[in-house]
Amino acid sequence: MRTEAPRRYPVYVPKVPRDWWLRTAPYRRFAAREFTAVFAAVFSVILLLFLSALSQGKDAYEGFLRWLRLPAVVALSSIILLAMLYHAGTWFRLTAHIQVIRVGKNDVPRGAVVAALLGIWIVVSVIVAYLYVWF
Amino acid sequence: MSEGRVALRVGRYRPEHAPEPYFDDYDVPTSDDMVVLDALNHIKDHIDGSLAYRWSCRMGVCGSCGMMVNGVPRLTCSTFMREFRSEPIVVEPLQYFPVIRDLVVDMTDFLEKLRTVKPWIIRGEEKPVDEGEYLQTPEEVDRYKQFSMCINCMLCFSACPVYGQDPEFLGPAVIALAHRYNLDSRDQGRAERQGVLEVNNGIWDCTFVGECTVVCPKDVDPAAAIQRSKVSTATRTLRAVVWPFGGRE
Repeated sequence: MRTEAPRRYPVYVPKVPRDWWLRTAPYRRFAAREFTAVFAAVFSVILLLFLSALSQGKDAYEGFLRWLRLPAVVALSSIILLAMLYHAGTWFRLTAHIQVIRVGKNDVPRGAVVAALLGIWIVVSVIVAYLYVWF
Repeated sequence: MSEGRVALRVGRYRPEHAPEPYFDDYDVPTSDDMVVLDALNHIKDHIDGSLAYRWSCRMGVCGSCGMMVNGVPRLTCSTFMREFRSEPIVVEPLQYFPVIRDLVVDMTDFLEKLRTVKPWIIRGEEKPVDEGEYLQTPEEVDRYKQFSMCINCMLCFSACPVYGQDPEFLGPAVIALAHRYNLDSRDQGRAERQGVLEVNNGIWDCTFVGECTVVCPKDVDPAAAIQRSKVSTATRTLRAVVWPFGGRE
C-alpha cells in the first residue's frame, strides 16, 4: 500500500533493523514471551513421550521415570518450569485485556480477572499435587 | 532538570541538502512547565526557522504532534521536559513511517487504510428522518466509547513492530476504529468491514506485542480491540460452521 502511487515529493523510508526485538525493553519482554513458548512445546513433547512409555508397559514406564531423574533432565525440567511460569503469567495478564466479563451492567475489573485466573490455576495445581502425592 | 538549559538532539531530513537523515543539536531554555513541543517551537522561533514539524492544538486532542522522544512514540505537547534526566533529549520522526521532512512523516498509508474499514455508521436501511434519532442506552454507548476516543495520532502504528516489519498490516488504530463501529448498536456494516479485517494483513497479523496500548495517549487500548475482534470473528465463523442454520442472529 505504501509504494503503490509515485510520490510528488521525495521521502526517506527508514529500514527496520533485524534486531529490533532486542532494542527496547518492551520488545525484549515480548520476545521473551514468544521464546518461552518453545519450552511449552518441549514440555508437550516430554508429556507425549511419557504417555507413549506408559502405553508400552511397566519396563518402559520405569525406564522413562529413571530418565526423568537424570540430573541433566531435572535441570531441563527446572528451566521448563520457570519458562512456563513466565509464559503463563504473561498470558494471564493479557487475557484480562481480551476477555471482557460483564456482571450486571459493569465490566469486571482487569485485576479481578487476573486474580480469578491465578486462583483457578492455584486450585487446579493443588488438586493435581494432592492426587500425585496421595494416590 | 528544573529551570535552566537542556540539550535537544533533533532528527533532520532535508533531501535537497542531504540524501540521508541526520541530527542537529540545540541548546534550549527549559522550565518545569515546558513540554517538548515548546522546545521545538523555541528552536523554530529563535534558533533555526527551517525546522519542520506538525502541531496544532497543544492540548492532546488534535493528534498532530506525535514524534519519537528518546525512542518512544509520544505526543510532544503532553511530554514534559522535566521527565528526562539524561541529556540530550532525542526527538525523531515517528518510526516506521516514511519521512517527508525533518519530523514530518507521510500519513498517506494510514489514511488510506483508515478509509478501507469504513469508520462511519453504515445502515442497511435508513429510517425516515421524522422517526427521529437512533437511540442508544448508556450501556450501548459504553460498549464502544473507549474505542471511539482515538485521535488518529498514529503513535500506535509507530509502536507496532508488526507494522514496522510488514507495512501491509492494517494497523492498531484502524482495527480499533473498525471494532468501534462493529460494536455500535446503530451500525449494520460489520459484513462490509470483515473483508478487510479478517484477511492476512488484518487482525490475524497482530502478534499482541501490546505496545500500541501502552503508548496510546487516549487509553483506547487498540491491542484489546484487535484481540476482541479476533475472538468475535472466530466465534462467528465457528458458529456458522457448527450451529444449525449457520448460527444466524
